[in-house]
Amino acid sequence: MKAFINIIKEQISSFYMVQRLAKFQLKIDNQNNYLGFIWEVLNPAIQMAMYWVVFGVGLRGKSELDGVPYVYWMLAGISMWFFINKAILNGSKAIYQKYSMVAKMNFPLSVLPSYIITGKFYGHLALVGGIMVVFWIKGYAPSIYYIQLIYFLAMSYIFAFSITLLTSTLTVVVRDVQMLIQSVLQGMFFLSPILWDRSGNFPEWLQSLLALNPFYYLANGYRASLLYNNWYAIENWQLTLYNWGLILVILIIGSSAHYKFRNRFSDFI
Amino acid sequence: MAESVIIKNVSKKYRMYRSKKEQIGDLLFPGKMGSDFNAIDGISFAVEEGDVVGLVGINGSGKSTLSNMIGGIIPPSSGEIIAKGEVNVIAINAGLNNQLTGIENIEFKCLLMGYSKEKIDEVTPQIVEFSELGDFIYQPVKKYSSGMKSKLGFAISVTADPDIIVIDEALSVGDQTFADKSLAKMNEYKKRGKTIFFVSHNLRQVTSFCNKIAWIEGGQLREFGPTNVVMKNYNDFIKQYNKLSYEDQKAFQKKLADRRKYGSKKKK
Repeated sequence: MKAFINIIKEQISSFYMVQRLAKFQLKIDNQNNYLGFIWEVLNPAIQMAMYWVVFGVGLRGKSELDGVPYVYWMLAGISMWFFINKAILNGSKAIYQKYSMVAKMNFPLSVLPSYIITGKFYGHLALVGGIMVVFWIKGYAPSIYYIQLIYFLAMSYIFAFSITLLTSTLTVVVRDVQMLIQSVLQGMFFLSPILWDRSGNFPEWLQSLLALNPFYYLANGYRASLLYNNWYAIENWQLTLYNWGLILVILIIGSSAHYKFRNRFSDFI
Repeated sequence: MAESVIIKNVSKKYRMYRSKKEQIGDLLFPGKMGSDFNAIDGISFAVEEGDVVGLVGINGSGKSTLSNMIGGIIPPSSGEIIAKGEVNVIAINAGLNNQLTGIENIEFKCLLMGYSKEKIDEVTPQIVEFSELGDFIYQPVKKYSSGMKSKLGFAISVTADPDIIVIDEALSVGDQTFADKSLAKMNEYKKRGKTIFFVSHNLRQVTSFCNKIAWIEGGQLREFGPTNVVMKNYNDFIKQYNKLSYEDQKAFQKKLADRRKYGSKKKK
């Protein structure tokens, strides 16, 4: 518990550093491209267009989900997925890749994953902004429910941070964890209602089991805020409580693991 | 004077494995596989405030391991290092990014060193001035020569103002004029009564700069004392060592290495 509080304190006191380092990271990543930061948005946008063509036009035609055309439904959810997927994959590598850079300084090591995530978060914000514009054009006007979107954006960030705090530590100790994470994320992608949602046909118990997947809550939260205009987080308060509880547990495990190994990172790298 | 760094029976053990299999085995059943290597073996000494301590010894003797432990970069396996005050390692090449320009690197490395926004704004002009890079400061660091890169790194590192400073081969950067300038900066630290640990193979520099010497041999402290005494002995040793035949040198190295290795269960 003490480790948890320390991590939170460290994150808050390093807020400025995280923002600046994230900006530098984006610069470093995109230094050699003429379009620079635009690629951070363009890449997922192109991928979305692919999904749109394959699943929206090809396989599903003009079907709707609760009155919203499939393609909008998919766009809202998948934007969240692109962010968390990238944030977790890159964030997990953060400590073992960047450790040598900061080894000789008194650097708060839990900041390494968080600034990587923050860099990806900037791209995510731009992407969500772009999607919003598309939705406005298509007649989904801005609403009071955008307030809820801020809540879900923040929650995606915190969720990604809680996972990477744990995985970035484990990856240092056992490098294979990185491979495992990749596979698990791929599995989660198909278990979550991101590309499709057929759970309506599933038996009751399986439906409630699938709802325990945090991506389920987050994806539906984005959709509720951008398209369906309802207070998803309040209407499904049990899920809200459950997900925050889950994040808290992961954070506590992650921070105690991080502190347990922090002094010995140099032995493992 | 008050003691500023106390090193108490400090050891650093590394586990050595011959294969990945041994490494996993050791993770699952600690102590069953692999062997130990004592990089540092029971070193104790105390340093007073304002002391400039040179760490000398032949390659692989454990100087860098010891200086890294004093700097808090790696934890000792056993024993204790008590440092009274803030410790900082002058790491010239750490924390520079090749993709960024010189001026961006200044902010980048300062951020990594934990400076606040105000402090960064304050030190940036000083760094630009001290680094002598001129207009190159706006070029990406990947276009720098190694000397220019070191100059930049050094200029950033010395803006830190800790109580205890660890310098590992940092003063041999750049050309002679820059080396002199760096040494002058270090002397300024010395005058202000900072405790300095200085690792170098440049014996002339060590002799002129340090007032105490810790001579490390094969992971152990061979001698610790005032510069003139220890340096004389060390120089004698080096002369003698150089006179030895190649085989005798090898035998000497092996003797030291065997002393540091154990737990390999006669695997030869």
